[in-house]
Amino acid sequence: MPLVLQRRRLYILPTRSGLGFAVLVVGMLVAGLNYGNSLALLAAFVLGGFAIVAMNACHRNLLGLGIDAMQANPAFAGDCADLSLELSNGGREPRCGLAVSVAGARAMLPRVESCARGRLHLAVPTQKRGVLALDRVRLESVFPFGLFRCWTWVHAPLELVVFPRPLGTRPPPAAPGENSRGAPSRSLGGDEWRDLRPFRAGDSPRQVAWKAYARGQPLLVKEYGGGVREALHLRLDAAAGDEPESALCQMSRWIVDAEARGARYRVSLPAQEFAENRGAQHQRRCLEALARMP
Amino acid sequence: MTAGVSRWASIDASLRWSALAFGCALLLHADRLPLWCIGAVLALVAWRLASGTGRIAAPGTWIRNGIAIALLLAVGAYFGGVSGLAAGTALLAVMGALKLLETHTPRDHMVMIAVTLFLTAAACLDRQDLWRVPLYVGQIWLTCATLGVVATPAVPLARREAFRLAGRTLVFALPVALVAFVLFPRVQGQLWALPGAGSAITGLSNEMSPGAIGQLSESNEPAFRVRFAGTSPTPGELYWRGPVLHDFDGYTWRRDETRLRRAPLDYTGPAYTYRVTLEPHQQRWLLALDTPFGSPQPDIDFTADYQLLADRAVTQPISYEARSSTATRAREPLDAPARSQALRLPPGRNLRSIALARDMRSRAPDDARFVGDVLGLFGKGGFVYSLTPPKLDLNSVDDFLFNTRVGFCGHYASAFVTLMRAAGIPARIVTGYQGGEWNPLGGYLIVRQSDAHAWAEVWLTERGGWNRVDPTGMVAPDRLTRGFLGGLADAGARLGAASRDLGWAQRALLGWDAVNTWWKNRVIEFDLGSQLAMLGRLGFEDPGVEVLRILLLVGLLLWLGWIGLQFSRSRAAMPRTDALGQSYRRLCQRLERAGAPRRAAHQGPLAYRDAIAAFDPALGAQVAPLLEAYSALRFGAVAEAGEVEALRRAVVRLHPLRTRH
Repeated sequence: MPLVLQRRRLYILPTRSGLGFAVLVVGMLVAGLNYGNSLALLAAFVLGGFAIVAMNACHRNLLGLGIDAMQANPAFAGDCADLSLELSNGGREPRCGLAVSVAGARAMLPRVESCARGRLHLAVPTQKRGVLALDRVRLESVFPFGLFRCWTWVHAPLELVVFPRPLGTRPPPAAPGENSRGAPSRSLGGDEWRDLRPFRAGDSPRQVAWKAYARGQPLLVKEYGGGVREALHLRLDAAAGDEPESALCQMSRWIVDAEARGARYRVSLPAQEFAENRGAQHQRRCLEALARMP
Repeated sequence: MTAGVSRWASIDASLRWSALAFGCALLLHADRLPLWCIGAVLALVAWRLASGTGRIAAPGTWIRNGIAIALLLAVGAYFGGVSGLAAGTALLAVMGALKLLETHTPRDHMVMIAVTLFLTAAACLDRQDLWRVPLYVGQIWLTCATLGVVATPAVPLARREAFRLAGRTLVFALPVALVAFVLFPRVQGQLWALPGAGSAITGLSNEMSPGAIGQLSESNEPAFRVRFAGTSPTPGELYWRGPVLHDFDGYTWRRDETRLRRAPLDYTGPAYTYRVTLEPHQQRWLLALDTPFGSPQPDIDFTADYQLLADRAVTQPISYEARSSTATRAREPLDAPARSQALRLPPGRNLRSIALARDMRSRAPDDARFVGDVLGLFGKGGFVYSLTPPKLDLNSVDDFLFNTRVGFCGHYASAFVTLMRAAGIPARIVTGYQGGEWNPLGGYLIVRQSDAHAWAEVWLTERGGWNRVDPTGMVAPDRLTRGFLGGLADAGARLGAASRDLGWAQRALLGWDAVNTWWKNRVIEFDLGSQLAMLGRLGFEDPGVEVLRILLLVGLLLWLGWIGLQFSRSRAAMPRTDALGQSYRRLCQRLERAGAPRRAAHQGPLAYRDAIAAFDPALGAQVAPLLEAYSALRFGAVAEAGEVEALRRAVVRLHPLRTRH
């Protein structure tokens, strides 16, 4: 990913202000020539040179800019997804007014100092579940003086996963063999600390007992929750409503609710099966599978 | 005070800058625009700024429209229309102020920048004096800084940074501006003419009523400057011919526009070659020493009465080279039209003077003796030279000769020519300048408005035609030599002595005048002719506009290359080691010399810290903060430039490393 903007990938054209400025300079030039007025001519030449230097400066503002990282965090349909970019300035001059736009979202990083990095967050609006391919991100700047706009397209194989919006009111089906219904027990996946167990890949970093680790013990994970562990088996066919999309929304609702309660859940989709588990990673995998459903 | 500052700071930065740049551009015209106009525009600017603080409401649409109509009508009424530079400037200023009232978006601010630049250009068109150049430079700098601030409102620029950015960009632009100024081919002649400038400019006028010149003579403004090539005339010869006046109505002398044949002359005196640099006086006539040999340029007319007349009004400083002699002899007698022109007197006016002239002529043996008698009358008849003479009635010559007897050159010339004509001797009035001040620092003569003068020419056949007679000399001989530093003929030899005698103030004034003259000759008047002459000096044979174009292109390309080089040097796309890395490497080298080398390239800064602490606790305590800071800056979220710089300083300052050795 770390890429540095090269000369060939940068485009530059005058803005509307730049065209107006050009008209003004030409007007001064013609007036100066007509009246044989040396100062007006000199002023026109100074301003014309100023515009050309401004064009160079605008180009240089992006040239050599490093894009260190780009990350798109998934979101539920209708929410805004967070796209973050990390830009780095290895040059000696600060770079200013770096605007990034993609899929209708736009954000600006006012300033990245010399030899420094800056992070930019875009709130990309989403409408329907699925995978949004953000293959072209536009990075542009009119800094300084706004007479020229320099831009580039950053091509990155970046996809934004949009989960189905959690909707629906059907109760979740219980896993067979468990006490029917996910009847809320006294201590709903709450704050109550239960015990420590060794860390397994996929555990949420929030649950790691960092203090213990700091004391030199191995990585341990704190387990919370009530005594009775709920278990659900979420099947798409059970959620099926009038139309397939609403079924996906219902599935999304169940998964989110189950996770919030700290329940363990198994998800069955027509082409995929996720074994009973819980945790952010599991939830995300399941939701992403929903998003990617044909 | 602090309340004022905070109130000022509460205004949107773009608005602050726009209003300031616009206000300063307006003040460039402070002495050209009427006071009410300046006041109204500044009041509107103040109103907009006050409404920007949120304490005062902004004017509504109706109030704005009302103000707009009132101000536009006022401008139209004051200037009698909206054509002409002053009226156009006033209109632009008023429209700009009204636009400022409704300026909110970046686009509005861009319009304000355009108005500001137009006002600056109008000031350049109006006046090109050297002392104003710093004002123009400052104004352009301020406007460009404003452009930087308003163009990207999302990027907050401190005042200093905005000025630095604009200043650097302008400095980079300067070389190409100079190259283009020298090489951009000028056009000859005007595509269109600016309507009359409106205001009266001091100087000689096309007509003379005794009293008209009295107002000018107070002005110390330079009228023109002369640089002689080779020999210079004596002070007594320094009569600079301007408009020659023939028509007299008893009170006012005017030029006669009928075109007569120019009688051929023999030039009997030495020929003087000189270059005149004339200040713009909005008239067509040019000044030349006594009698020029001919027209110096095709677009300058050489009239029957030996004046030089340009084909259009002089609105820019111009210079021309001329050759003159102060002694001439007519080859043929005065022809009838010229004779009648030079003998005409208004009927029924100045009858006492006419009677006096006829009486005196009848008692004189010849015309020359009569001229001497009249001059004797002025010398001994109780006449007084004064710049503030009493007013005269319609029979101005009678009134002057028999009643007031107080006057300046115009009075004497007018009375003298009237007496000559009454006695049947062809005579005319020549207005122009007499004398001049020698500038030893620049090696040229300055002729000022206060040197304006009027004298007479009379036709004496036995004396070889037209003879110059200066009746004022009989009354105030010192008037003719005032202000002149010695003879010009040996001015070069006396230059050292003369400049030693000058006081420092006078030297400074003359030095400033010399710089100004250079500015006018070399910069203001730089035109196609100067460009081609420059190419000739550079060794181009038969230079033309194409050569200029090619050189301009070459200059432009060289400049673009230079700019690219400057920028690539300051860009340094991705330095191999950035500032932070350099500081760390430096720190590691110092530690290595102190006996605590890094174990391996992959040893991180914190591990290194621990290793040093184990090896030498004192050293560890000393460098631990630096290594921790490096770690935080390198691997933390976002590094601030200030912190990087602080670390660099700390590493540099870390001088004697405390080791146990």
